[in-house]
Parts: sequence; structure tokens; C-alpha cells
Amino acid sequence: MKGIVFTEFLELVEDKFGLDVLDKIIEESALASGGIYTAVGTYEFSEMLSLLTHLSAHTKISIDDLLLVYAEHFFSVLADSYPGLIDKYDDPIELLSSIENHIHIEVRKIYPDAELPTFEILEKTDSHLVMIYKSSRAMYNFGLGLMNKTFEHYNCNASILLEKIKADGTEVKFSITKT
Amino acid sequence: MSTNIEVIKRALHREKEARKQAEKILEDKSRALYLLSEELKDANEKLAQGLTEKTSELKGVFDNLIDAYVLMDLSGNIIKFNTSATELFGYDIQKEQLNVMSLIYKEDMKYAMTSFGQLVHEGSFADYNARVYTKNKGVRWVHINASIIFDAQKTPIGAQGIVKDITEQRTIEAENKTLLATLEKSNLELEEYAHVVSHDLKSPLRSINALVNWIKEDYAPAFDEAGLKHISMIESTLEKMERLINGILSYSSAGNGAYLEEHPIDLNTIISDIKNILLVPSHIHITIIKTLPTITGDATKIQQLFQNLISNAVHYIDKEIGLIEVDYEEQDTLYIFSIKDNGIGIAKEYHDKIFKIFQSLGDYKNSTGIGLSIVKKIVDLYGGEIWLDSEPTIGTTFHFSLQKQYNHNAT
Repeated sequence: MKGIVFTEFLELVEDKFGLDVLDKIIEESALASGGIYTAVGTYEFSEMLSLLTHLSAHTKISIDDLLLVYAEHFFSVLADSYPGLIDKYDDPIELLSSIENHIHIEVRKIYPDAELPTFEILEKTDSHLVMIYKSSRAMYNFGLGLMNKTFEHYNCNASILLEKIKADGTEVKFSITKT
Repeated sequence: MSTNIEVIKRALHREKEARKQAEKILEDKSRALYLLSEELKDANEKLAQGLTEKTSELKGVFDNLIDAYVLMDLSGNIIKFNTSATELFGYDIQKEQLNVMSLIYKEDMKYAMTSFGQLVHEGSFADYNARVYTKNKGVRWVHINASIIFDAQKTPIGAQGIVKDITEQRTIEAENKTLLATLEKSNLELEEYAHVVSHDLKSPLRSINALVNWIKEDYAPAFDEAGLKHISMIESTLEKMERLINGILSYSSAGNGAYLEEHPIDLNTIISDIKNILLVPSHIHITIIKTLPTITGDATKIQQLFQNLISNAVHYIDKEIGLIEVDYEEQDTLYIFSIKDNGIGIAKEYHDKIFKIFQSLGDYKNSTGIGLSIVKKIVDLYGGEIWLDSEPTIGTTFHFSLQKQYNHNAT
């Protein structure tokens, strides 16, 4: 997993819960990296899982909710780092439906070894989009947070319905309707 | 709640380590990038060098090409002429604009447009033969091969053509054709002339013969021995003269393919007929090695062919027991026949000469020197060849081939 996901995560934890909590979960997680991350490095996904589990235990907030909040924060990181990518689209539905065919292709140009989720489009109209999320990481709520912020970015509202196709969350159907 | 100093220390440690890690990663990356850029520079240099070489090669080809080279855009505007093209068309395209359409001869325009369509749709055309206008040389006949030029995206960007001035070649071809026709005509006339002349010569010859006979019958007692001998020499000279005339007659008609008949001919029958005609002496045996095929052709000509060869063999046999063997082998499109004798043989230096008219070896009394030239003519008529193996004093084998299917009109 790319280092920026870790560094942004740790920064957010420190902001919201303080340095003590951050230090605690790092110590508890007994990470191979020792909690030393840089945005330009690459680290095991299991470390992120471990950090999330310990943060959830400490804060009594579910992992799904933590991921949602983190994703909403992460959108602004992306928007700041890659404004050109988002400005290309006039409409959130257009942006979301281009993840697979445009955004991920651009990502692979910079990070050829990136392990990306797939988004298969089932239905698409101007105001409606149905996609199947597939990833062994089961970070569908991270996806949901990014989608929420996407609509917010374009000053739109939407109802986004999640439906687990596989119980472990590795395959999830997103039904998005612009309101 | 104040944060434990240990926690801060650990956070600081992580930050430091992260910084070092980042620095190391970036350094590795920049080294990798540097090496890659060196590789690219190297590859680029090689490419540039290759390109320079190729460009220079192409320029050499372009300049040294004897044929005219024309490069044009898709609307037919000339972009480039090599030296030969400038010389042929007479235009300096550096100074004046030129479109290929203005060069096409009016009557060939339709053909040119069809070819241009082929060029656009199929990417090339070959063997376009038509006329063009030139500035200083008038209308010229040209042969053009052309192809479309594509850019790296496979989009057509122009067309190139190799243009060959074939005006002189065409003139020479036309002249050759006329020449050949004239030659054929005069050959035919010559044959007819030979025929008429020899025919006309025959009747005074017969009169002389009759007169000599009368003199001999009426005045025999008046002649002494020397006189009688001279009379007899006149007679044999007359005979020889008649054979010569007959020979010329058959030679002049042998080469004429216009009246050839096409019938199945059983060569075994032909050979047995020849045996009867030739009055073969009893010490000479003519053998057919294996049953001969039935071929298609003109019976008179084919018989003449075999008869002349066998009669030659008979005449030149000097052995106590003469052997003549007729054999053949069959190939896809032709038969190869052979006639072998155990006669006097023919020395190597005469092998070509014997097929020419009036060439006779030795002083055989019946030889006119025409027989083998007729044989050669007939073999030619059937698209065949004739050759021989011979060893002086041992014998001779004549081989000749005849095409199974032969179109006489094509000759």
C-alpha cells in the first residue's frame, strides 16, 4: 500500500485523537516498519489493518466508520495533489464512472505496481450509476467516503446505497443516485 | 493532559527515520533515473547515427537513380524530383509549382485516374504505361510503379513513383515488330521463289536429258570410248542436278508450317514404309528397339524426317553387317527419338555444319547436302531440337525431340 495512505492516516489520527493515541496504536500494533512511513514508500496493507483495528478498539468507533472519515479527509489530499485529474470532469457521475478507464490508468503510469480495486459499471445514466467494487482489501467504505466527497466537491447531493455481494466485503454493489 | 516526553521522543524518532527513509528512496530513484537517462542518451545517439546513415544512403539512392523519382502529396502536387525526373519533365520544381495532373496526356487521363484510384485504395500500382507531357521533350511514353507513403500513424501523407522513359524502347519494339513481319514475308517469298525456280529448272533439265538420250541412241556408233564416257558423265551429272533440284524443292516446302496437317501417325508403320521405299541392302538391319508411339503431325513431313535420317544411316554404313536402331523416350511435353548406326561416323568439327544446306561430307554419289537441312527444318517446325553423338569409324546416333502439342502459329 502506498506510503501516502499511511502518512495521511497517522496525521489524521494525531489531529483528531492526539499524539498519545497515535503513539499507543503504533506501539500496540507492533509494526514491521516501526510506524515509520514516508509518502514515497510502499508498505504492507496488513499494517494499515492493524492500525485501524487498534484505533477502533481504543475509540470504540467501527472500522467502517473510521475508514469513511479517513476517506473524506483523503479526498482533499487527492484534490490538492492532482487537481488536473478532477478538473477534467464537470460532473461527479462522470468522474466516478471513469475511475476504472481513466483514473486508474493514470495511477498505473506513476505506480506500475499499485494494487487497485476494480469498479465494474452495471448501469449508467446522467443521474444514476451502479458499480460493483471488487478488492481483496474490502475497503468499500473508503470508497464510499471518497464518493461522498466527490459529490460535495461538485456541490451536489446523492444517495449512495451499499449492498454486499460477498459477506466479507470484497465485492460490494454501489447504487448511486444524484438528488 | 500533557503528553509524555517518551511519546514525543518516539514520534520524533519516527519522523527522523521516515525522513531518512524518504531520502534514501528518492536517492535510489534519482540514481535509477540518471542511469535510465544515460541509457536513453546512448540509444538516442545510436538512433541519430543510424538515421544519418540511412538518410545519406537514401539520398545516394535518390540522386543516383537512373530512373526518374517523383514524390507528391495526395493532391498530386510535386514535392520532389530527382535529377533524372527534372531532366525528363524539364521543370525546376524549386522555382515553379507543378501538379501531376498537368503532366498526363489527355487521352490517357481516364487510365491515369483508374490507376490513381488503385494507388489510393490498394497502396500501390505497378506497370502503368502511358504518355506524359514534358516541357522540352514533347510527349513521352513512360512506365510508372508507384506507392503510397504513410506516416508513423499509418496515415497516408503522399505518394512516390519511379518513372522510366520507355519512348525509345517502344520505338525499338515497334521497329522490331515491323522488321520481323518483313523478314517473315521475305522468307516466305524466298521459299516460293526457290520452289518456282527449281520447278522451272526441271523441264529444261528433262529436255537436256532426252536430247542426250537421243544423241546416245542415234549416234552411238559414231562415238569412240572417250565420247561414250563423256556422254555417261553428262547423264550422271544430270541425275545429280535433278536430285539437287528435287532437294531444293523439298527444302523450300519443308519449312512451310502453313499447310501442316494434323493426323495421328503410327511411327511403326512409317518405319516399315521407309524400309520398302529405301530398298535397304540385305546386309543392313533396321531394328525398332521398343514399339514406337503414335504421334500427331503431318504424315508427309514426319516420314521425310525419319526417311532422311535412316537413308543417311544406310548410305554411310561401311561395315559388313549394318545395324540401324530406332528408339525413343517419352517426357512430359515431348518425345526424344534416336537413330543409331554403325557407319563411318562424323568428326566433331562437322557436327554443326552438317545441318546447313548443301553441306555434304565425303563424295557420296547420291548426296546433295540437303537431307539434314530438311530434317532440321522439320524438327524446328515441331518445336524440337536435333543433336548427335558420333565417333568416326564406329558410328553415329542422331537424337531429336518433337513437342507433343505444338502451336505452329506461334512461331
